[in-house]
Amino acid sequence: MVERKIKTIYDVVCPFCGTLCDDLEVDIDIKEDSVIEVRNGCQIGTKKFFSSNPSGHRYLKPRIKTNGEHKEVSWDEAIDAAADILVKAKRPLLYGFSSTECEAQSKGVELAEILGAILDNTASVCHGPSLLAIQDVGAPLSTLGEYKNRADLVIFWGSNPVHAHPRHLGRYSEFVRGYFRKDGRNDRFIIVVDPRNTHTAQIADLFIQVKPNEDYELINAIRAVLRGVELDVKEVSGVSIEKIRELVDMLKLCNFGVIFFGMGLTQTLAHHRNIDAAICLTRELNDHTKFLLEPMRGHYNVTGANQVFTWNTGYAYSIDFSRGYPRYNPGEFSSVDLLIKDEVDSSLIVASDPASNFPAAAVKNLFKHPLISIDPHETPTSAFADVVLPAAFAGIECEGTAYRMDSVPLRLRKVKNAPGECISDKEILEKLIIKVKEKLGE
Amino acid sequence: MAEIKLKLKKKPELPLEADIITPDNLVGKTIAEIKKLAIYHGKEVVKLGDFFDISGKSTDINDTKIIIEGDLSNVKRIGEKMSGGEIVVNGNVGMHVGNQMNGGKITVNGNADDWAGAMLQGGELEINGDAGHYVGAAYRGFWQGMKNGTIKVKGKVGNETLAWVNGSKPGNRFPKLICGSAGAFLGIHSHGGIIIVEGDSDRCAGADQVRGTIVIKGKISRLLPSFKKIGEVNEIELPNGEKITGKYIEYSGDHSVAKNHSKIDKKTGEISNSSNGRLYIAA
Ligand code: SF4
Repeated sequence: MVERKIKTIYDVVCPFCGTLCDDLEVDIDIKEDSVIEVRNGCQIGTKKFFSSNPSGHRYLKPRIKTNGEHKEVSWDEAIDAAADILVKAKRPLLYGFSSTECEAQSKGVELAEILGAILDNTASVCHGPSLLAIQDVGAPLSTLGEYKNRADLVIFWGSNPVHAHPRHLGRYSEFVRGYFRKDGRNDRFIIVVDPRNTHTAQIADLFIQVKPNEDYELINAIRAVLRGVELDVKEVSGVSIEKIRELVDMLKLCNFGVIFFGMGLTQTLAHHRNIDAAICLTRELNDHTKFLLEPMRGHYNVTGANQVFTWNTGYAYSIDFSRGYPRYNPGEFSSVDLLIKDEVDSSLIVASDPASNFPAAAVKNLFKHPLISIDPHETPTSAFADVVLPAAFAGIECEGTAYRMDSVPLRLRKVKNAPGECISDKEILEKLIIKVKEKLGE
Repeated sequence: MAEIKLKLKKKPELPLEADIITPDNLVGKTIAEIKKLAIYHGKEVVKLGDFFDISGKSTDINDTKIIIEGDLSNVKRIGEKMSGGEIVVNGNVGMHVGNQMNGGKITVNGNADDWAGAMLQGGELEINGDAGHYVGAAYRGFWQGMKNGTIKVKGKVGNETLAWVNGSKPGNRFPKLICGSAGAFLGIHSHGGIIIVEGDSDRCAGADQVRGTIVIKGKISRLLPSFKKIGEVNEIELPNGEKITGKYIEYSGDHSVAKNHSKIDKKTGEISNSSNGRLYIAA
């Protein structure tokens, strides 16, 4: 039997979902440079660590597509080809960034500014509407520790953490014991509002089944009832007025409430207006008790992307540099809208896979024009890319900073080396910046 | 009236940003000078003359009429911040037409894209076709949208038309929209807009309306639960004094807004008829 040399690394931050658990333990086979065990992580987070191990789908060298086939090339050739595409484009799009670390994101901003490009991150297809609503009406937010220690009423609205943020419930919102919630789950009343009887709903104390796409009306009715208005109707969005009254009483009588909302609110009809109303409701509830809300951010560092873009440009996503200064307008400069209208003529995708989750019409136009993909492994997007630049996994194979869903920055750790010639997203973008500047004669 | 004619040579591949096309910018310039004005094609700075054939002349802004021909659905920001004169677009027009204008008139003989007349401060925008979303709306993060002037759309307007519209009776500002039919969230967060829909409206008209009047001469697909029926009326008096006759059901609201001026008397349960939001739907 071959002797294995194992190193255990403690307090590793999980680079998968916005919960950003920071208590993982990872066993590494030093000789093979591979992950052999992950403790404390949930199923989806653990899988990401294992997927970094050398395998058939990991890129080891840069690739360029020639005659429809990917050929492995040197870094110099690949960077040259990529820079060529970007410099020639009149309206390039830089998209992704949510699954990489903040230092790489800020390099992305720099590159976009040099290129006069459009810069967007995945918020434009997940919590972008939350950001729009926050711009309109502000937001009473807090950090997750507050909810853990204080909340006695927790609402999951259009979010399903059992599947999307598995350890959120155990670490912050449902089962965990808090300073003022010594009895953990027994000290919290859990409400789920969702059109489907999700697994989160099944372990809640109260499940309110709202009709699909009618959340706005329900929040609207709750707000009116909260103000003491007698409504003309008997039922709103499939929920009876009696039930709404009961709910309002619960909301008013709790000590500390929180609404965790997900894409069930942001990406159903009414989008940012759902959040707008939810924020107003939360604000108005503070006339009676303490109430806050929190978006359940998906990608582990999408919050970071919003932070980095904002402190660099003033805007969180959908930014256009074509006139030399940043401008912002989701709907006009957001990736899906641009691609559907075929308004970009080349794209650089960083740590993201739009081909899997954009509408077909957008993906078709994405593939029509030159495409560069920076990704650790093969995805439907990178498979069709003209240039593939292989990256190390941020948070597994290189260090960096990431922001948790509540905007708390945490330091990601390096637990193993990247295979082959993979380098970090930041280094790749730095190389691109140098080459692009050279080509532009700067 | 002095005329300047612009004819689009060919439809641009990428959106063209032509905020330079306003009477304010073109007046008093020779055709040669006008041809040299900068517009944006993607990240490239090009000349107006590269994309348009230009003829005519003008001397005084209020006496200037710019006539634009061609399919301008990819040309954005025409008439941005214009303060006088007239623009006629014979064809479809791209986003942001007439945004923040405060005087003069724009006529679009075709369809307009999103943000037509966004944050209008005065003047008149007439669209003889359909318009996109956010007609006359406030730009992202602004709390005061359209403040004055009139928008007329023959066809339908998209979602969130006139969001954050901000009128004022004491200030003698009556921002007004007349449209054929409307999408969802018409007049959301209205602070005193006048909206008249000749046909039907989609869900949630008047959401979060603090003040303002919305008249829907057709049907609404879903009325917000926070609107309360007051009764039937035969005549509506708009805040600017104009009158509309016909049988309408009067609702007050939006009652979910904390700042709503429509106070409900705690003892009698009656709604006071002060300067609160109103929604009228044809009976
Ligand atoms: S809950 Fe999220 S951050 Fe925590 S281990 Fe699972 S995937 Fe990773």
